[in-house]
Amino acid sequence: MLYYIIRRVIAAVIMLVVISMATFALFYAMPSDPARLTCGKTCTPASIKANRHYLGLDKPITTQYADFVSGLFTGREYPDDPAFAKANPDKVTHCPAPCLGYSPQRTSLVSTYISERWPVSISIALGAFAIWITFGVGFGIIAALTRGRWPDRLLTSSSLFVFSFPTFFLGLLIYSYLSIKYQFFPAPNYVSIFDSPVGWAKGLVMAWIVLAAVYVASYIRLTRAYMLETMGEDYLRTARAKGATERSVVFRHTLRAALTPVVTVAGLDLGIVLAGTVIMEQVFGYQGLGRAAIDAVTQSDLPMIVPIVLITAALIVFANLVVDILYGVIDPRVRIG
Amino acid sequence: MKRTTRGALLVALSSTVALTAAACGGGSDNGGTGGGSTAGSTGGSTAGSTGAQGPTSSEKGGTLYYLTQRNAEHLDPQRTYIGRDIGNEARMVYRTLTTFPVASGEASTKVVPDLATDTGTSSNGAKTWKFTIKDGVKWQDGSPITCKDFQYGISRTFATDVITGGPNYAIQFLDIPTAKDGSSVYKGPYAKDSKGQALFDKAVQCTGNTITFHLKKAVADFNSALYLPAFAPYKKSQDQGDKSNFDVFSSGPYKLQGKWNSGGTSTFVRNPNWDPKTDKVRHALPDKIVFTEGLTNEIIAQRLIADNGNDKYAVSDRSVPPSFQAQIAGNPKAKERATNPASPFVDYLVTNFGSKTMQNPKVREALAVSTDKGAYITAQGGPTMGTPATSMINPNTPGYKKYNAFGAPDNGDPAKAKQLLKEAGVSTPVKINYIYSGGTPTSDKAAAALKEGWEKAGFKVSLQPETQNYYTIIQNPAKQSTWDVAWGGWGQDWPGAATVIPPLWDSRVNLTKSSNAQDYGQYKSDKVNKAIDAAYKLTDPDKQNAAWGDIDEMIQKDGGYVPLSVEKFFLIHGSGVTNWIDNPAFADYPDLGSLGIQQ
Repeated sequence: MLYYIIRRVIAAVIMLVVISMATFALFYAMPSDPARLTCGKTCTPASIKANRHYLGLDKPITTQYADFVSGLFTGREYPDDPAFAKANPDKVTHCPAPCLGYSPQRTSLVSTYISERWPVSISIALGAFAIWITFGVGFGIIAALTRGRWPDRLLTSSSLFVFSFPTFFLGLLIYSYLSIKYQFFPAPNYVSIFDSPVGWAKGLVMAWIVLAAVYVASYIRLTRAYMLETMGEDYLRTARAKGATERSVVFRHTLRAALTPVVTVAGLDLGIVLAGTVIMEQVFGYQGLGRAAIDAVTQSDLPMIVPIVLITAALIVFANLVVDILYGVIDPRVRIG
Repeated sequence: MKRTTRGALLVALSSTVALTAAACGGGSDNGGTGGGSTAGSTGGSTAGSTGAQGPTSSEKGGTLYYLTQRNAEHLDPQRTYIGRDIGNEARMVYRTLTTFPVASGEASTKVVPDLATDTGTSSNGAKTWKFTIKDGVKWQDGSPITCKDFQYGISRTFATDVITGGPNYAIQFLDIPTAKDGSSVYKGPYAKDSKGQALFDKAVQCTGNTITFHLKKAVADFNSALYLPAFAPYKKSQDQGDKSNFDVFSSGPYKLQGKWNSGGTSTFVRNPNWDPKTDKVRHALPDKIVFTEGLTNEIIAQRLIADNGNDKYAVSDRSVPPSFQAQIAGNPKAKERATNPASPFVDYLVTNFGSKTMQNPKVREALAVSTDKGAYITAQGGPTMGTPATSMINPNTPGYKKYNAFGAPDNGDPAKAKQLLKEAGVSTPVKINYIYSGGTPTSDKAAAALKEGWEKAGFKVSLQPETQNYYTIIQNPAKQSTWDVAWGGWGQDWPGAATVIPPLWDSRVNLTKSSNAQDYGQYKSDKVNKAIDAAYKLTDPDKQNAAWGDIDEMIQKDGGYVPLSVEKFFLIHGSGVTNWIDNPAFADYPDLGSLGIQQ
């Protein structure tokens, strides 16, 4: 198992290096000029040139990439201009290792900017994940156990109904009616869980419900299908014959086996949601990583794009790794060599 | 100032959730929406606002909420150039030598003193301007605001590598030599160049509390330009360069509580070191002003229409999307809280003098005559979103001149245009490529509407929507041959046409080998340039503005551009907000110097 994990981590690191190089290269293939975009509306050729130098964009791409990589290990100073730094030491920003860069458009260290935003995305994703796993798996079990009867039909048909709505539509619907019109929920607003746990939950609850609603639908159907498949296995008949209680048959023998594929999907979904709460952030006005990514791309903010792409990729890679490890924990038959 | 559009792309959402972004302002008209005023003067802190609509009150206290979609890009005064932010900063935290009053209509365009004792004295044919700083004016830490703070603040504009994004009027106006590449020889306070610094200190002189500006050329309304935060004082000890972008060190009635939370919620509270006796402009009624950024336009509109909870005390700079305007029309309570003033922006078409096709004056005239402004406005959302423009100078900007360059109706005259193309001696259909700032369904619809009108007249139009590279293309001389007609948008920087005509069509300040700057179509006319020089020499602002109107007509009749529409705002505010005014000097965005809260 340890060897497997080490191998996967090495592969992930190589992949992230390749992704970072590709992102750099792709960015430079774009026709837009970041120095032009940063210097505002009154750009002149001279000011663009000065700005390009200040931002370090007049260096070759390979040098810029090497600076980025070395900054990860040794830290950097911004602007990377010794003459300016000598004359104005108080106006230089120190970026400690692992330095992800400095965004001139945000006038902020990338790590500072991201550290302010990732708790928003994580809070949205984890809250929604808890809801959809609880209700998705719970309702899926009920549907499987009541196969063909009204609870099963109600749950499967209603889940299909909810599943057919796009997330942004559900979000706008709930926001418009339950918050703005009837004020059942407060206006969405992110407050740190450490400042006010209640405020944190209140401010995020609509996003959780909307995001979870879509996933709940698929998890009900998924859990139901795998439960039904497992319930037909011979070993369950054996368990019952040996006098196991129905509770034990359902939760210990059936659910455990049925959960393996559900966990696989859940792990991947969590990775995707962590990296992509952008729709919720947009609809409800949260400033998370998703919004940061959109802003960075539309404003050609390279120092922001590269780390966000890397973090997104790392989250998905990490989620995959966790899923693989969980296989072995949930299902003793699975042993990773 | 250029009207920017910044499309935000959202995969899988594109057409339904509108992610518009845009706009920067300057000043504009009140759209005739004034009325209901109960009072007041254009200053003072006890009276209601001139031209106020809805309830008025001089009651202090309460919290005003400001809902918006677009994040502030800069809070550094020298880097601020978005109309909304200029207004908000000017009213809350950054006082300047002069400003514009809390008023609507024409009264709002008359410059008044702020940190200076009067609106300044000019001499040497408006090339020298002198101001005296008021006694007793303080920073938020209680230290006095000095002439040196003004000198330092203005000098920061010259550091074009660090202090980016702001207007460069200081560089244009102050009597400091320019280098070969067109930049100032003075590179700002961070360059630590004593020679350059001496040149700056000569151009901006301090004698006690008196500050004297020496300009390169006559600027009749220089005292109006000084209302921009770019000319605000800056305390040297607070300057962290680029790191100060979201820092606020206030000289106004409010100060920032804690740090600015970009994209989130930030609060301004009262500045105890602001003395209302020194400030006859700002009413400063609410105790707190809370900003929330990052909301969609649709959500803002819904919240303000619903008028529940704290939204009763909320305002927004965002226009109500057309899809929600019908709801307001059918809701009398919401309707009385809505205003529909003209924005400072004029949309226009740039004819490309670098294109062989457009070099033919009859072809340019045919294009102007066949332009269907009515269809363009309909595509934008109808009459609440714009009115047909006849000039590049906004009807409420001093200098506006009413005329119809080619006598064409608003919906165009395809028959006349066909005749003109015949006279032009070109074979039809005349192929033209229209490049525009696209990326939204509205901009595409508007382009299609123009195309239809032009094709009726004998043009064959290809459309080229561009998003983030739009200005990179049309400002690049190397790309000049790739398009024939381009979309443009512009608004005044202060009430005066001098901020419209020269920035767009003075070829000497715009055209270089590597950039068209704002003269996208490479319009170059010695006659116009001479007229611009003559206008600058007129030291009477009224006479000068009249001259800008004449030059505008000259350029349009030369086929230099085609005016499209005067954009309009459709704003709504909460029922608990008092003293609402449409103040064109501050681009008709919510005037935070006027607004109060009904307790």
